[in-house]
Parts: sequence; structure tokens; C-alpha cells
Amino acid sequence: MTTLTRQDLNFGQVVADVLCEFLEVAVHLILYVREVYPVGIFQKRKKYNVPVQIFTDDIIKAQRNSVICPRPHSPLMSNDSAETSAYMSCHPELNQYIQDTLHCVKPLLEKNDVEKVVVVILDKEHRPVEKFVFEITQPPLLSISSDSLLSHVEQLLRAFILKISVCDAVLDHNPPGCTFTVLVHTREAATRNMEKIQVIKDFPWILADEQDVHMHDPRLIPLKTMTSDILKMQLYVEERAHKSS
Amino acid sequence: MADQFYLENIDEFVTDQNKIVTYKWLSYTLGVHVNQAKQMLYDYVERKRKENSGAQLHVTYLVSGSLLQNGHSCHKVAVVREDELEAVKSKLAVTASIHVYSIQKAMLKDSGPLFNTDYDILKSNLQNCSKFSAIQCAAAVPRAPAESLSSRKFDQSDLPASSETQASELTTNGHGPPASKQVSQQPKGIMGMLVSKAATKPQETNKETKPEAKEITNASSAGGKAPGKANTMSNFFGKAAMNKLKVNLDSEQPVKEEKLVEQPPVSVTEPKLAAPTGLKKSSKKAEPVKTQQKEKKGGKRVELSDDEAKETENMKKKRRRIKLPESDSSEDEVFPDSPETYEAESPSPPPPVFSPPDPLPKELPPIKSSSGESKRKRRRVLKSKTFVDEEGCIVTEKVYESESCTDSEEELKMKTSSVHRPPATAVKKEPREERKGPKKGTAALGRANRQVSITGFFQKK
Repeated sequence: MTTLTRQDLNFGQVVADVLCEFLEVAVHLILYVREVYPVGIFQKRKKYNVPVQIFTDDIIKAQRNSVICPRPHSPLMSNDSAETSAYMSCHPELNQYIQDTLHCVKPLLEKNDVEKVVVVILDKEHRPVEKFVFEITQPPLLSISSDSLLSHVEQLLRAFILKISVCDAVLDHNPPGCTFTVLVHTREAATRNMEKIQVIKDFPWILADEQDVHMHDPRLIPLKTMTSDILKMQLYVEERAHKSS
Repeated sequence: MADQFYLENIDEFVTDQNKIVTYKWLSYTLGVHVNQAKQMLYDYVERKRKENSGAQLHVTYLVSGSLLQNGHSCHKVAVVREDELEAVKSKLAVTASIHVYSIQKAMLKDSGPLFNTDYDILKSNLQNCSKFSAIQCAAAVPRAPAESLSSRKFDQSDLPASSETQASELTTNGHGPPASKQVSQQPKGIMGMLVSKAATKPQETNKETKPEAKEITNASSAGGKAPGKANTMSNFFGKAAMNKLKVNLDSEQPVKEEKLVEQPPVSVTEPKLAAPTGLKKSSKKAEPVKTQQKEKKGGKRVELSDDEAKETENMKKKRRRIKLPESDSSEDEVFPDSPETYEAESPSPPPPVFSPPDPLPKELPPIKSSSGESKRKRRRVLKSKTFVDEEGCIVTEKVYESESCTDSEEELKMKTSSVHRPPATAVKKEPREERKGPKKGTAALGRANRQVSITGFFQKK
């Protein structure tokens, strides 16, 4: 089996690209499924051979918090040859926000500095109601043993998308007027690099407030786990026990 | 015997695992005919409803029948939610069939997850996808790749023509005329969509039962290409008279698609058109990548022969036999010189990243087999050759020479080079290791085998 080290940045870039693409789709899908924004602004696009939902062109105010919006290089929105369809937003500001966030996360992913990426849904009082936690682990020595590595990864990511689509069944309804934010939990040294990135990309990141991070009396609902040669990811939802208070 | 447990199985899937259980998925999972699967689902729903247990089930149904719209009679097939079932049924003049399509715990906002569910299970059962199907076609047999390539080109040119005639026949649901324009203008886009939407066709018609405002928004929005196309396809295949489609089906070339056999007849043409595209999509991407790599190899081979002109005839002959790994190694020689072009490739990956899984494996097996042969019989070894040249000087030269060897370490290294890796970076990197491998392999051969692995570790940087 071939083993690579983290030094092989090219491969790290590939993994980061894959992850950022996936996270973009996942964030849009979470916003769609949990009805954070009206469903009318979402549009079906293709990703991983299955339908997903993306925001469409409508006027919506995007909340800009201490979240990172990545902009993956992948032309997700315009890539008609990508297979799966996803519901993605068409609202330019929101898309830009999400893309900028993930764009800043990508360097962290490349260096495997990211512990988890959390999509937090906040209620009107800015207290977290739900947290979709993507725990990401990249093995330090990437061992590639299979020819169909990427199609396998694609399949696994497809399963994630499917699971997010049906998470309604296990989650309570959110109160109206929710907003969202994205938090990134990094390993120690990463924040120093973040400052450099912020300056370059003109998209400020701040340390998250305690109130954004801490959820009172959470309930844990695991959704999906995947293991592959290049990536291990786990998705679970932390839900506040009493949502409308 | 197995039938007795199906209720428990379904219960487990729906309630415990929170899965979407479609009849197609169930038929593959339990290994039963689709009709039986439908019956099972129906039975389960009935029982659960009678029990009045706490768990809420959401059921979708597939309804088909004839519909009178604007004076035209058309056949409609739709996947509808339970709450819309009666409404849709009442619209149909004649209800041809109703059956349970899927059961899930969550209320689905759209048809995407239904397609999602079927996609993977169908993909893994591609070879026998019509095994449990009620639709069989004896003429649908796998086709040779060369045939399917040529027919794909034929189908592409065929599609605009047939779609235009079809579109004119389409009855309204508000999307007819624009749909036809879109269809004729973007045949390739539709072909691409057809591939993935082959199974969603029935679900796409479900959109009609949803608020029309949304559809109009979708159709008119700037980015509304995709749903527009989806609607197009649903109109195209869902609304058009089935008979007409059947006629076209017969007249078109037989397609290498078993998949389509198990779809309802309406969607037969769709996968048929799509299938060559879909199947060949990956191979089409494979081809440019292949040709690129072959060109690269051709170029490098020329370089090699220029650089090492002093090699013996023997070497050249042997080189031909193992030319694939050798040219890989020559590509690899270039690698350190142009790291930047190299990295420029990697940002472009996301589409290529997902498409090359097919091309590269197709390419690597030949490498594997040739290296597999060579590793057993002989091995290229860097050896010093001392000889007297024309001027009478003694010359020592290091050349690669084949040496029969069954060094397991060597085999291991050769193996690693033939393993697939996603981007081209991988292919280039491994040959470098492989090339250095033989060097160090010979050097260390005299010593303990363990040391070879240590040097190998340092080589990998």
C-alpha cells in the first residue's frame, strides 16, 4: 500500500477540495431541510449523482457571524456535469457567505488542522437550537489501497446527503426566525494561520462566543459515520431539549 | 419462509434505521419481485395504521392513469404524497394503477431522497437490475463498447430531432413550449440529466402536485436551468403519449442498457438515450485522460531513447515489453522539474477528481499486468557495465538491465506503483518511487531485507 505523509500537499488539497465541496452542499441542505430560509429560494442542483437543494435568487438577509464560509474551487453551481442533484440556494449573498467561509476553512483542512465543522442553528435570541457537527479526521498517513477510492468516497458522501435529508424524522421542529452560523473547531496552532488567511481573503473570523458554542441540555442524535482511506467523518446533531422557550 | 419476516425487516428499516424504503430498494434488499415488494409495503402500512402506534409513517404512492388536459389525452405517472393522493386521483380520467412507492418516517419535502435511495442499490446491482423487475425485454442485452460508442453519437444527433417532434405533441402543464426549446437547444445537457434522472422521472412529475408558484419560480429563475430541464424531462417523458415513445423506442438502435428494462415503459427511451451517454460519460472522460497520458508517454519515450542512445538492442526490446511502467518512470523524471504545472493541475480536480476514478483504473490494469508479469520473471536493475569503447578507453557505464529476480521487496514496490490514486499526481509519484526502488533494491539485496524498507522510507520523500 502506498503511504503518503502530510507533506504530500497535493493530496491534502484533493481531500480538502472534496471536503469543501461536500460541506457546501451539506450546509445548503441543512438550511433547506431545517427550514432556516424559505424553501422557495432553493433550487435543485446536481451533486454526487443525487438531487440536493441550493438557494436560488431571492432576497434574503444572510447573517454574518464568526463563521467561515469556504469558497471551494469546484464550480458547484455551474457544473452541470456533476451528477447528484442537490438543493442549493441561489441567493448570491448567502452563497457568497457560505463559499467564503469554506474557502477559509480549506487551508485548514489541507493541513489537517480541523477537528470539526459545526453548523449551528440559532434562535431569535441567538442561542443555539441545533448543532450539526461534522467531525473530521484525516489519517496522518494516507494509505490508498483501492482503485475506486473516489467513487467510494462519493458514495459515502451521498449517504450523508441522504441522511441529512431525512433527519427531520429524528429532530423536533425549530422555532421560527432561526439563523445559522458555522463554527470551526481547530487544533491548537491553526488560529495563527487563520489571521494570515483573513487578511488575504478579507473575510474576518473571530473567536466564537461562549454562548454560540455552549448549548444548554443537549440531546445527541448520531446521523452518519463514514470511514474511508482518505477521510473519516462523523455527523451528529446536538439538539436542545426545549427548543421553543 | 423469508416472507414471514418481511414485516419485521421493514419495521427495522423504517423505524430503527430511519431509512427511506422504496419498493425498488426493498425488492433488491430482500430479493423479491417488485410486485411482491409493493404488496409487502402495503401490508406493512395497513398493519401499522391499524395498530395506531406512536411512530408516524409517511407514505408516497405511485399513481398512473390517463388524464385529459386541454382536449389532449395523455398518460400521467406521478409519485405523490399521501395527502395529495386523492387530489391527483380525482384528476385522472382513468386510474391505471396505484401502489405504494415508499415508506419513511420523515416527511419528505421533495423527491430527491427517493432517487437517492434507489441510486446506490441500483448501481450495485447493475448487472441484474431487471432480475426482480416486472418489465422485461429480451432484446436488451449488453452491447460491445465499440458499438455503443458509435451509437451514442447517433443518439445525440437523434435526440434533437425526436425531442422536437415529441415536444410539439406535448400537452400543457405550462411547461410545454419552453421545454421544447430547452430540449432542442441543450441536448447534451439533457443527456447528462437523463443519466441521473432516469429513475427520478416518475418523481419529477410529482412537482405538479406541489405549489405551482415554486415551479414557476424555478422555471423562470436565472439559475433555473436545472429544474427547467428536470421539468422538461418530466414533461417529455411523463406527459407524452406512451405509444409515441414506444414507436420511437422500436425504431432507435438497441441500447446496451439493462437498467431501462426495469423502468416503466415511459422512461424506457430516456435511459436508452441516456445510457450510452451515462455509461460512456465516464469512458469519454477516460479517453481524453488516456490520450493525454498516452501522448505524454509517447513524448517521454522519445526523450528516453534520445538520452540513452547507447543502450543495447537487447535493452530496447525488453523496454518495449515493460514500456508502460518505464514510461511512467520517465514521466516521473519530469516531475521534479515542473512542480508548478503539477500543482496547477490539482486545483482543477473537483470534476476530474470524480471522473478519473474510471479512467485511471482502466489504464492501470495494463500496467499492473505487465509489471505483474515482469516482476515475476525479471527486473530492471541498475548495473555498472565496464567495456572498452572505440577509442580504446575503458568505460564504466550504469545501465538498466533486466535481471530475473523474485525479490518480494521488489514486487511490493512494483505493486505500489500500479495502485490507483486519484489525481495524475499519484501516477507520477509512484513511478518515481518505483524507479528508485529498483536501485535501492539491488543495493540492499545483499544485506538483510529489512534494511531495504528503511531506505525505502527515506526514498519516499
